[in-house]
Formats: sequence, structure tokens, C-alpha cells
Amino acid sequence: MASVRIDPELKAALAVVGGVFPPTVTPELVPFMRQSYASPPREQVLADQRLHAVDLEFAGYRGARIGASVVSPTGAPDAQPLPTVLVFHSGGMMFGDRFSGLDTALAWVPDLGIRLITVEYRLAPEHPDPVPFEDCYASLEWVAAHATQLGVRADRLLLAGASAGAGLAAGVALAARDRGGPALVGQLLDYPMLDDRGRTASTRAFDGIGVWDRISNETGWRALLGDRVGTDDVSPYAAPARATDLAGLPPTFLDVGTAEIFRDETADYAARLWDVGVDVELHVWPGAFHACDIFAPHAAVSRGMIRARTDWLRRILVD
Amino acid sequence: MQELLGRLRALDPEASEGLRVIACFDELMAGGVAAHGLLAAAAALAGTATGMRRGGVTVRVDPRGETLAGAAPAECATAEVTSGAVAWIERDPGHPRANDALILERLALALRLRLDPSLDRVAVQRDFATAVDPARPHIERMDAASRLRLTSGASYRVTVAPLFATWRRHPEGPEDVVSTPFGPVHVAVILADAEVDGAPLGVGGIATIDDLPRSFRTALIALRLHDDRAAAPVRADDLGGLAELLADLPEHEPADRDAAGMNAIMEHSWGPATVDALVRTSTVREAARAAGIHHSTMTTRVETVQGVLGFDPLGGLGRTRLGIAFLRWRLRNSHVLELPAPAAAPAAR
Repeated sequence: MASVRIDPELKAALAVVGGVFPPTVTPELVPFMRQSYASPPREQVLADQRLHAVDLEFAGYRGARIGASVVSPTGAPDAQPLPTVLVFHSGGMMFGDRFSGLDTALAWVPDLGIRLITVEYRLAPEHPDPVPFEDCYASLEWVAAHATQLGVRADRLLLAGASAGAGLAAGVALAARDRGGPALVGQLLDYPMLDDRGRTASTRAFDGIGVWDRISNETGWRALLGDRVGTDDVSPYAAPARATDLAGLPPTFLDVGTAEIFRDETADYAARLWDVGVDVELHVWPGAFHACDIFAPHAAVSRGMIRARTDWLRRILVD
Repeated sequence: MQELLGRLRALDPEASEGLRVIACFDELMAGGVAAHGLLAAAAALAGTATGMRRGGVTVRVDPRGETLAGAAPAECATAEVTSGAVAWIERDPGHPRANDALILERLALALRLRLDPSLDRVAVQRDFATAVDPARPHIERMDAASRLRLTSGASYRVTVAPLFATWRRHPEGPEDVVSTPFGPVHVAVILADAEVDGAPLGVGGIATIDDLPRSFRTALIALRLHDDRAAAPVRADDLGGLAELLADLPEHEPADRDAAGMNAIMEHSWGPATVDALVRTSTVREAARAAGIHHSTMTTRVETVQGVLGFDPLGGLGRTRLGIAFLRWRLRNSHVLELPAPAAAPAAR
């Protein structure tokens, strides 16, 4: 396969990014990644004076106490119902915490006047499937059931996530449909991790390049699914690309870069959603590597990516 | 990215932040990134706004790449881009951060290359690249070498590593990032008997300042022959005249019969280990032992190799042809410069 050009600004950023997030994550590197992808101290994460966070707990899968933070615009009364984004962080199912890679989502809070609820779902391999997914599903039920206390407008609830978090969000949206769960106004899936089978051409096109290559992806899926990876014994809630019926899902925003392994599975998911009449907005950003908006938000391509998402949220979520 | 540099420092204090800043600007320059992108990258690296004033027009960019309105602060560190153009980092000059000076220097260089169409890129090419570039006139290389404080008469070696090599013993001497057809590499000049250890790493042959380009080319060959990230440095000295022979090959060499034959042999799963064993030993029996197979199996494979190559790989010049064809195959298939450095070292701390 012909090689895909990486945008020059982003290629330059990789010279720095590579020291913190190597392209190829093997199981041995997981302890390092947990250090390097941990969110900065709270006072840095929440430096923006226009927002504040409250930490809460809810009952996750099988009743485990799971942490979450409700981030609100400064000055908004606690009980005032606001449109709300429930977000699942990135980190390959194996690392990251509730504030990892969340800068852009945090900026929505004051910019759009919404609440953002971010969840510390448990991580593989210590907590394999279905724990991360069921923790996330439980968070949706919790938010919907406590909408009044949390200041959430139950008719304006949207799921979001990036990478592994987007895979989890897509799984939760499928389960909410199947289980008669809370209504969703949309799902925002940034470069989602959807398919454990690694069947696409793009999966194999970026070995050792950028952020999150084929080996990293195999590391993540194996941590989550163990020996079930790639077999028939994988739930569509864990790997949403396996869902055979996508009808009835809420309006969906998908974005992905041309220079990343998830390019083809994201485009395929969009096409299958269109097939069954779901509203889908798909952006494929030229020369973008995986999560370039998180690692290099200053680059022109990243800024376009961030702007397109915010515009969609403004249309679909807020007044 | 300033935050990433901070993380890098926290995770691994020896992870050359400076080299990463240099490599970042090298890619920006190589990619022909426009002024806004250069200012944005510098702002992202510095964690504060940057700006440029040119012909009375001011452009300011924040660390998220957004254009800022208004005038620059009165006091900040500035650098001349060209006559009539100046760039700056918006930080109190009394309280500079670790990489400010380097970022500003590289920003000014990148803007100069971008904005002055009359400028010959070579004219501002750094002394280092000049000193190891055989295409540069002798006198320029001598001048560049002396500015690097390398002395004529002393013996040196050039070392070449990927940008993100892991160092056990960092080279002591001038170092920089140099572009090659295989990507940017970290190059250093060390005294000939100085110790250096890292992975992956190629160590060039001995050279005076006049021969630095040759030492550089043999070091690059040595590095590209590195095939195991955990292995010791590859030394051009161990290849003797072969290093220079291989260094003289054109970048895109035509596929001759030996190359085509070696490609075909390497299609076999046993190809690489078998040929490697053959070139490292002197008899079929020794090769079989080295490859961990029965000698009758090795004999069969040698017959296959001979059939494909069309000559006896163990007789007379056939051995030399086999060895050279094998080394050329390894160079064609070298991935040492494509692989990122595993960041495993910090995890072990």
C-alpha cells in the first residue's frame, strides 16, 4: 500500500510526542504509559477559571464504587438543568484517567454552557471485558437516574469519547438502544477503537508510525479480551464494529485521520450507519495521525478537527 | 507540547529535549510549513505566545495555534529573522524557561528560510551538516569544523543514531540532527578512542576533520546494518573496506542478478538465518551448528542457494559475492531508522 503523507506540522510534532507516547505499545510498556498518559495535576487541568469540577462516585459493574467528575460552568447553579456530555477518556483500554486527553472537552463547558461528566472506568488487563464497558454503561444509567440532582437535562444527554473511549461510547450507545436505556441526543466518536479483528488495510499501514499502531492496538484488544480476541466470542458492546444491526442509533459524529490505523474502520462504521438511516457526520482529516488534536492542538489540521466537533455539538446539543 | 516536554523531562531527565526541539523544527523546515505554523509550533513548545513583526505588520500566535490580536508585550526575548523582521517569545526576559533560547533560535532560522526567497538554504545550513557533507567544498568544511572546535591533526569518529536512540553512554563532542535520504539522524563527532554506547548506534571509521564525511557515511552504513535494538553498536571498523564499499552504493541501486537472487532466497522463512550463518562461518558443518540445524539440512539449503544465485556461495569469490549480496539485502531492508525508540527505559526506574 502506498504510504500516506503525514501533515508537515504534525510530523514535526511527532518528534516531541514520540518521547511520551511511543508509536508501538507492547504489554511491557503499559506501566510506562500509565505514568506518561496520566493527566496533569488537577490545578493544571482545571486552570480555566470559567469551570469547576465536583467529584462523585457511582455504582459501576457489580456495584463497584467508580469515580466520576461533574465539570460545570462557573456561576451556573448546581441544580440548573444543563445539556450534558458524558465522556469516556482515551488510553487504549489500558491507561489514562478521567482527565487524560480531555482539554478540548473541558473547553466545551464554558464555551457551550454545558456540563461534562467524565468517568474513571476500570482498566484492562486487570479488569478485562466486560468491566470497562459495563462501568461506562452504569455511568449512563446513573446520570439519567440522577439527572435532577446532577443538574443534567435528561433530554439533552450526549455520549462522547476518543479512541478507546469512543469505542466504549459506541458500545454504550448500542446497549442503551438494546436495553431500553436512557435516550441520547447523539454520540461523538473521535477516531474510535471499534474492531478487535484488525482486518482493514489502514490497520496494517502504519507500523511504527505516529501514535497507536497495529501492535499497540493488538496490545489493547488482547488486554481487554484475552484469548477471545478475534474469535466469535466477542460482544458488539466491546467491539462495536461487530454489531450487525446499527439501526436506531442516535445522530453520530465521527472523525479520524488519514494517517492512522482506525481510518478504515471509522469510515466503514459511518457507511453502515448511513445504510440504516442514522444521521452521520464524518470528517476524515488529511495527514492527521491518531489523536493529533490531543498531542498537537496547535497544528492547523488539529484546529480544524476541534472546530468541526464544537460546531456539531453547538448544533445538536445546545440552544 | 510544552507540557509534553515537561513530561519528557519528568519521565526521563536524560531524554534529550533539546534534540527533540531541533528535530521538530527540522521537520517543519523540511515540510515547508508557513510562518503561522512555525509560530504556532514555537508557541506550543514554549507554552506561551510567539510573534513576528515584518514590514510593520505584527503576527502573534498562542500555544493553541490561534492568532492573537493586539501588540506584543514591551519586554520579551527577541531574535532577528532578516533585516527588517524580528521574532519573539512572549516571556519576561528576566525569567526564561529551559528551552526558550533554543526555540527562539530555531524559530528565527525557520522563518528566515521560509520568508527570504533569495536565501540559499545552504548558506545557513548548520556547521555540523557542512562538516560531514562531502558535497561541500573543502575550505567550508574546514571552517565549519573549526567553529565546532574540532582540531586538525586529531583523530575522530562520527557516530550516527536515530533521533530517539537509547544512550548508555552519550557521545561527548559536538552533536546535531542531520537530514539523510533515510530520515533525520542524530550525529556526533567524538575522539577516536572515546567510549560511546547506545542502541541503535553506528560508529564510523577513524577520520581527521578532513575525512569527517567518510566517517559519517560509514557510520550511517553501520547504523543501517543494526538489526537488533538491544545489540551493541555496529562499528564500521569491523566491516573494514566493506563499509566504504557499501557507502559508495547509489541510494537506489539497480537490481542486479546477485540482488535479485538474494531477494528470492530471503523469501524463504529460513533465508535470513541460513545466509547469516553461512557468512559468519567457514564450513557447512559450522554454519549448521550456528543456525541450530542438522548439517544435511544446511547442505540442502546451500544447494538451493547455489541454484538460485547461479554460483557456488562457498567457493572462491562466491563467498565474497554472497557476503556482499547479504549486506546489501540488509541495507535494502533496514528498518532501524523507521522504528521509534521504545520508551521502556524510564519505566524501569
